[in-house]
Amino acid sequence: MLDGQSRNTDVNGVVDFECGPIEYEGAGNCVPFKDIHLKFKAPHLSIITGPSGCGKTTLLKIIVGLKRARVGIRRINKKTYGEGDLSKWRSKCTLLLQDAPVIEGSVLNNLLFPFEFKNSNTRKFSRDRARGLLNEFGLGHIKFDQDANLLSGGERHRLCLIRALLWSPPVLLLDEPFTGLEPELQNKCFDKVLEFSRIRPAIVICVLHERNFLKRADSCWRLEDGTLHRA
Amino acid sequence: MGHYIELNAFDLFWATGLIVIASLISIGLRLGITKSLFLAATRCVLQLGAIGLILKKIFQIRSPYLVLAWLIIMLFFAAKEAVRRSKNKYKGISQDAFLTMSVSSLISGVLVTQIVIKISPWYDPQYLIPIFGMIFGNSLNGICLCLDKLLEYIRTRTKEIEVRLAFGATRKEAILPGARDAVRTGLIPIINNMSVAGLVSLPGMMTGQIVAGASPLQAVCYQIVIMFMIAAANAIGSMAIATVASRRLVSEYGLETREWDI
Repeated sequence: MLDGQSRNTDVNGVVDFECGPIEYEGAGNCVPFKDIHLKFKAPHLSIITGPSGCGKTTLLKIIVGLKRARVGIRRINKKTYGEGDLSKWRSKCTLLLQDAPVIEGSVLNNLLFPFEFKNSNTRKFSRDRARGLLNEFGLGHIKFDQDANLLSGGERHRLCLIRALLWSPPVLLLDEPFTGLEPELQNKCFDKVLEFSRIRPAIVICVLHERNFLKRADSCWRLEDGTLHRA
Repeated sequence: MGHYIELNAFDLFWATGLIVIASLISIGLRLGITKSLFLAATRCVLQLGAIGLILKKIFQIRSPYLVLAWLIIMLFFAAKEAVRRSKNKYKGISQDAFLTMSVSSLISGVLVTQIVIKISPWYDPQYLIPIFGMIFGNSLNGICLCLDKLLEYIRTRTKEIEVRLAFGATRKEAILPGARDAVRTGLIPIINNMSVAGLVSLPGMMTGQIVAGASPLQAVCYQIVIMFMIAAANAIGSMAIATVASRRLVSEYGLETREWDI
């Protein structure tokens, strides 16, 4: 059982997250997982590292339920989510997929679409906040009606990050969100993610290759041989 | 029914002359399709001849079981053809095509034969077989187009579906844009056919009725009924196949890639 104790002490128990124990038989070149049990209280920012091919992406997908595995419990605060509630679970525990995939259509459409789903409930999309975030991430030149598929790689990565922050789920999982960004931009984006976890407050679990952010995280883990080791 | 001119074997012999003209042209221009032309012509004669004999027997016997059995055979071949024409496939595609096709054909076919035309007895082969044949032939087209479009969407836009799911879309919401597009594609041919009906060419059934001596207005009435019936069969069939295939290929866990068989 892994207990990520937050260094930040102003925990008022707003978000209490648990996922596990995870048992996964392994497939292809991914090793089996055993005894992975995640428990965090917001605000918390956790970084997972590990050699490539150790199954970091698979682990994140299993947590959100985009890959089949035996998961003992999926819980946020007092509510547990079973196999039939996976889409509700994902609207609360949202994964930012690797390689910043965008959906066809405009930039606005890319930021707006989650709010049109049934599970978005009362969450409202704010154009002003979207514009504000675009500016803060250095994308002030991008128009809402621009075709999202024509953005450069770096722009797409930032757009996807903005989408996740706008959505503002209590638990946010990021799969290598800073790939292809210059070091300066990476710093800026990390600041924003950290700020998000503090202000919302939220739990952020981030798979990263960049080692320079490790010391700024609340907890660091290393995925090796199918288990998480405290780093 | 009015009068029509009966054809005999000698008339068919003269018609064969037309195929000979076509093959002479293909020989003269060295198109290299003479063989396939003859093969196709022979198949056409044999298949139609066989069907003619079978239909003659079915019309004579007039047994409801025989008529239904024949309809099921036609349905089976239509479903098989729809799957064969689809470029992408998945496990269970034949079953899905067969089921959706039977449901959509049954709804519109029964409605037309029993309520609109009111055939009597209810299984009168003279009406049931050609009408269901038209439904099968046309909904085959629609279902096949729809299926192809949907599978193409799932195959090429996997990431998009995953992104939607990752942000809390239900599996229905995740595939909805693709399914909508697919159903629309399935309906395009019948929409085109309806909008140019009579302008470009007279529809086959109407031509047949007029040649057989029916009044043009009666032929038009029949044609309208048939067109609407085909449109309904296509719409129901496309929607059903899109729903069934989506349910099979997208689960709560995302895309079921194991089901692919491309």
